[in-house]
Amino acid sequence: MSSALPDLPRRNLLALAAATGALAGLPAFTASAAPERPANSTYSGGTSRNTLWWQAPADDSSMIVQGLPVGNGRLGALASNDPGHEVLLVTDATMWTGGLNDTLDSDGQFPYGRADFGSLTLLARLTVDIPDHDLGAVSGYRRTLDLEQGVATTSYVRSGVTYQRQLFASRPDDVIVLHFTQNGGGRYTGTVDLAGTHGEPAADARSFGGTLANGLRYGAAVTAYGTGGSVTVNGSRVAFSGCKDVTVVLSGGTNYAPNAAAHYRDPSLDPQKLARTKVAAAAKHTAATLLHTHVADHSALFGQLGISLGTSSADQRALDTWERIQARARDGEPDPELEASYLQFGRYLMIAGSRGSLPMGLQGNWLDGNDPDWMGDYHTDINIQMNYWMADRAGLSQCFDAFTDYCVAQLPDWTDVTRRLFNDSRNRYRNSSGKNAGWTVAISTNPYGGGGWWWHPAGNAWLSNTLWEHYEFTGSRAHLAKIYPLLKGAVEFWEARLLTTTLPGSSKEVLIADSDWSPEQGPLDAKGITYAQELVWALFGNYCVAAAELKKDTGYAGTIAGLRKKLYLPVVSPKTGWLEEWMSPDNLGETTHRHLSPLIGLFPGDRIRPDGSTPKDIVDGATALLTARGMDSFGWANAWRSLCWSRLKNADKAYQLVVNNLRPSTDGSNGTASNLFDIYQVEVGRGIFQIEANFGTPAAMIEMLLYSRPGHLELLPALPDAWAASGSVTGVGARGGFVVDLHWKNGKPTEVKIRSINGRTTTVAFGTTTRTVRLTPGESVTLRDFAR
Amino acid sequence: MYSLTPVRALRAMVVLALTAGFATHLPTAHADTAPAVAAKPYMGWSSWSMQSSKYPGLNPDGDYSYLTEANVNKQTDALASKLKKYGYDHVNIDAGWWMDKTWKSGFDEYGRQKADPVRFPSGMKAVADRIHSKGLKAGIYLPAGLEKGAYGDGKTPIWNADGCTTADIVYSDLRTTNGWDSAYKIDFSRPCAQKYIDSQAQLIAGWGYDFLKLDGVGPGSGKSGDQYDNVADVAAWNKAITATGRPIHLELSWSLDYGHAADWKKYSNGWRIDTDVECYCNTLVSWENSVDDRWDDAPAWTDRAGPGGWNDLDSLDVGNGAMDGLTKAERQSYATLWAVAKSPLFTGDDLTRLDDYGLSLLTNREVIAVDQSDAPPARPVTPSDAQQVWAAKNPNGTYTVALFNLASAPAAVSANWTTLGFTGKADVRDLWNHEDLGSYTNKVTQALPAHGSRLFTVTPHGSAVTSTAYEAEATTNTLSGNANIADCSACSGAHKVGNLYLGGKLTINNVVAAKAGTYQVKIAYVSGDSRSVAISANGNGATSHKFPSTGDWGTVGSVSVPVTLKAGANTITFDSGSSYAPDIDRIDVPKSSS
Repeated sequence: MSSALPDLPRRNLLALAAATGALAGLPAFTASAAPERPANSTYSGGTSRNTLWWQAPADDSSMIVQGLPVGNGRLGALASNDPGHEVLLVTDATMWTGGLNDTLDSDGQFPYGRADFGSLTLLARLTVDIPDHDLGAVSGYRRTLDLEQGVATTSYVRSGVTYQRQLFASRPDDVIVLHFTQNGGGRYTGTVDLAGTHGEPAADARSFGGTLANGLRYGAAVTAYGTGGSVTVNGSRVAFSGCKDVTVVLSGGTNYAPNAAAHYRDPSLDPQKLARTKVAAAAKHTAATLLHTHVADHSALFGQLGISLGTSSADQRALDTWERIQARARDGEPDPELEASYLQFGRYLMIAGSRGSLPMGLQGNWLDGNDPDWMGDYHTDINIQMNYWMADRAGLSQCFDAFTDYCVAQLPDWTDVTRRLFNDSRNRYRNSSGKNAGWTVAISTNPYGGGGWWWHPAGNAWLSNTLWEHYEFTGSRAHLAKIYPLLKGAVEFWEARLLTTTLPGSSKEVLIADSDWSPEQGPLDAKGITYAQELVWALFGNYCVAAAELKKDTGYAGTIAGLRKKLYLPVVSPKTGWLEEWMSPDNLGETTHRHLSPLIGLFPGDRIRPDGSTPKDIVDGATALLTARGMDSFGWANAWRSLCWSRLKNADKAYQLVVNNLRPSTDGSNGTASNLFDIYQVEVGRGIFQIEANFGTPAAMIEMLLYSRPGHLELLPALPDAWAASGSVTGVGARGGFVVDLHWKNGKPTEVKIRSINGRTTTVAFGTTTRTVRLTPGESVTLRDFAR
Repeated sequence: MYSLTPVRALRAMVVLALTAGFATHLPTAHADTAPAVAAKPYMGWSSWSMQSSKYPGLNPDGDYSYLTEANVNKQTDALASKLKKYGYDHVNIDAGWWMDKTWKSGFDEYGRQKADPVRFPSGMKAVADRIHSKGLKAGIYLPAGLEKGAYGDGKTPIWNADGCTTADIVYSDLRTTNGWDSAYKIDFSRPCAQKYIDSQAQLIAGWGYDFLKLDGVGPGSGKSGDQYDNVADVAAWNKAITATGRPIHLELSWSLDYGHAADWKKYSNGWRIDTDVECYCNTLVSWENSVDDRWDDAPAWTDRAGPGGWNDLDSLDVGNGAMDGLTKAERQSYATLWAVAKSPLFTGDDLTRLDDYGLSLLTNREVIAVDQSDAPPARPVTPSDAQQVWAAKNPNGTYTVALFNLASAPAAVSANWTTLGFTGKADVRDLWNHEDLGSYTNKVTQALPAHGSRLFTVTPHGSAVTSTAYEAEATTNTLSGNANIADCSACSGAHKVGNLYLGGKLTINNVVAAKAGTYQVKIAYVSGDSRSVAISANGNGATSHKFPSTGDWGTVGSVSVPVTLKAGANTITFDSGSSYAPDIDRIDVPKSSS
């Protein structure tokens, strides 16, 4: 290796920081422009197939499995929907403890605590108590979550009066709204209590503020107004009495700024004051106006994808969502509308959780306490990538931007920390070459440029490849320009890290990754792990295309293309018949391990294709390894398996894994909770919400309906019998720059409309039928009469 | 009121009734005392919950020191002013009235318990008189057996029993008895023995007590075996009380052995079916220790309760709020179970400090009426799962229906009319909220908080359920593992399928449903303890259900379980899995789904 760059002087890094800071330096919580308000009512009751419903609320102890999530892309809240005791646990995506965390532990790895690395944590707790509406005193309780309109409703009868409340988190107004109404002459009397969760001294009833130990300032504010009756400030609470209706408006945030040069703070921002300003501005409008503004905003995004997987029975429709989840598992009967709703719930969460602020980590913006497991952080060895596999496929490309902006904003510190610390002599993963360039990350990352737990050399490649796929879906040149420094830095890192070796019994020189850990199993010091080889192979390829597209660094790209040709690629073990994970014929880990790291070339990569272009033994070895990994894992591990089986066109297995994730989680068992959150059983009796499967499973469902790579689309590659009778999906993103509307019947496409976003030429295949489509951006074509 | 059937005839009837399994409404041997004792579950107050608690300030002079004359008077006054008009009329002095603050016992010259002069300076008669002056009944407490401190080297004379001393009433080896081994076992084959019990009975009757809690009684009270068999003690007490001519209610404690239910019923007016409800902690009780035990332990006893003798679930400590140690929902569920199980309703709360909610729970006349009604106690109509439904059919054709959510998170709970035996529409009245909720078709579903409940009167307007029976022992069924057919005289067809353990399975084949849907399948079973079984249809996913104990292996019970069937022939499988399942007698599959 002769092309490693000397370490850059510090001032160059600062220049880089300034450059990227200029791209994305605005705080997430900031004064917003006056919202566009729809002229007419946009809200339509909420009885569509995209409405989930339940017959019981959550309580304080069950919020993570029963609380309903709302969010405006930045603020998130879990709601209890209890008639007499409404609780909202509010999180802001930037509400993080910790910091840069650049003092390594004695083993050369990163500290991983809530003070040093940090943790996502709660911002506030809002309680609305209505003593006369105790759950034990009301009847006909029902709550809904309208995924399409982004509204949670609660209704019940108390003494003959029907009470209703709506809850929504508005992005245009940057507030969370609770609107209480009734029919039949009822009145509301109760209190609103806004409180911090970090021991803030009680200030006035309408707002609070504080500063975390890391200096992050935060604050929240609430206001309430009603008709009839009175609303007064009563000590630390807002009291309402005898009101016909009540509206409660909440906002809050932090002074986080995605700007490494400014150490991720906007010192001029007073979050408490800004929160007060926001709730005051929103409170100038009626609840109906706020609702309509929100619904217009939410439903515009939501409507970008529609899906029907078939018709459910009347008996299934009569069940509430939780009963339906249980019946699906118990009776083994497909429930196509429930399954489509599960997909749409993932899209709902994406809209609610990933707009204009930090991306979603392990739990998105939904916590039930200050100290989420694994810090609610960004895990870079599957989790954050899976969180964003769905967005482009499911018509939510806009929601991907939070992930891009995060990586771009972190790059200066990722680069700085890598340069300063990666080759620390105590770091078992350091470059044995002694060279060091570019950037990489730890397994966990925070929003302060910091890593947590262990170094993760190939993490840079996986992040870069994920960012690259967004370019493949959208063809956005601006996006490509934005991520180019990330790609190039990752390439530089690997250029410095790869080792040259000669394979036994061969004179052929190959490049292999230095000592590493195939995520999260087997030997800690394995060279040439498949995970890294595949990721770097894809990274180098992506980089070369990017450089060509941007007409940049032509010479360097040529060098990288040359290195790519020399990269070692995995072979099939003669012992196990599996694609090797560790450049060894032996199985050095757990057979059914959750991670599918050695299959990363099958999904999300496409190096391994069952279409004749990949040597059969490789496809067979990948298939055998996937088979050995088993069908009975949990959440994200099942979702990844499903995606891989889908790539192998095995509809039964791909579907079964979706069904496995739909199993009801009870007492913390693996599966889907009452509120559709995916739960991972960490020990018997204790489950943890991990959001990835809520995105990975929908991604898998879409992948069963449409496979795409630039220049090639395949219709219904793994359509399961359960959905085959008839169905449709509209608005599916396809790599190569297309959007596809697909209708099918009896397992065959009846009509497919292909719209070009940026794409020009693609083949469209179903079975043995292949067509070639040529479009200019903005054009579309409708194809019919596919026959197998 | 009930008829004054001669005792001998009555006992014969009881035997018959127990055999036939319909003992619910029969009067007991106490029928010959007048006025009727325990015609309804008694109501009142007991001192023990506060005595046993470590709640700050309750027992300032050491453990159990709450029990004093002043405190009893205070609670008497509060009971009279706040609760008497709702039927609460007993003031029951529990353990310790004859013990000093160090828990040292005092006895009179005849070896009978003597009031501690510090606790009760005016003596026990004065306290009873004061209780009576308020129009209330007085209750007192004694342990089973001859307390060791009363033995006095065996030379202590027995009152009104010439020549009898304490040595003449116990076994010569001085074997101990009762739940604490605090007494010598009395040998009732010895003529002096009954005299001692008579002397105690005369003493408390003379003081004017109307109620006696006899504690530490075995088998039960954590003890078994001949040494702890106090049936003869209880019989002696029954006889002694009768001899006083005073109608004294005899209540037995604690965790009485189910196998002797007939004895308890014969000789007493109530029996504690479970351990103390008190937690012996910083509150009076706690949900897990041990209020929630009752949902599992009460069902087996249901048939044993009736006029003259009731299943005693222990104190009802729902009135004080924080001191009770329970959430509001738990307090309501506690009161709901006690009412539908027709347990005595006696609170151990501080009646001078009832909170508004507690007062509303204790004084809800509709709920009290359920407890005091002529209907039998409710029993679970569903398995003892986290969400369960209990019901009883009332003499007027309505049903008392309680929904319970014993899970630690809110849940929807449904009472399906099919499980009550009818279909169609029914009116639902909410007893706790005094509200008619209107007409419901096929079922009522309500959202219940964690550990929450609802209590309804359901008035059916539909028709009776018709169903098809499938016997477990039918030759067309499939048995696997150890499962086999066994004789069962109480079972339909005189057979059941048993030995469903460690993988044993019963599959009932060819269960025909007209339409696909969820059916409330009624399962008749036998289980001497509470056991779980996984039930599935057509090889689909199984749901594990916990069946309440039927009390012994000769008694049949039934619960309804939702099973999803397809149109046409189905299989229903009972799988013991890795554990022990109940024996299955029969299933009844309704003609229509719900």
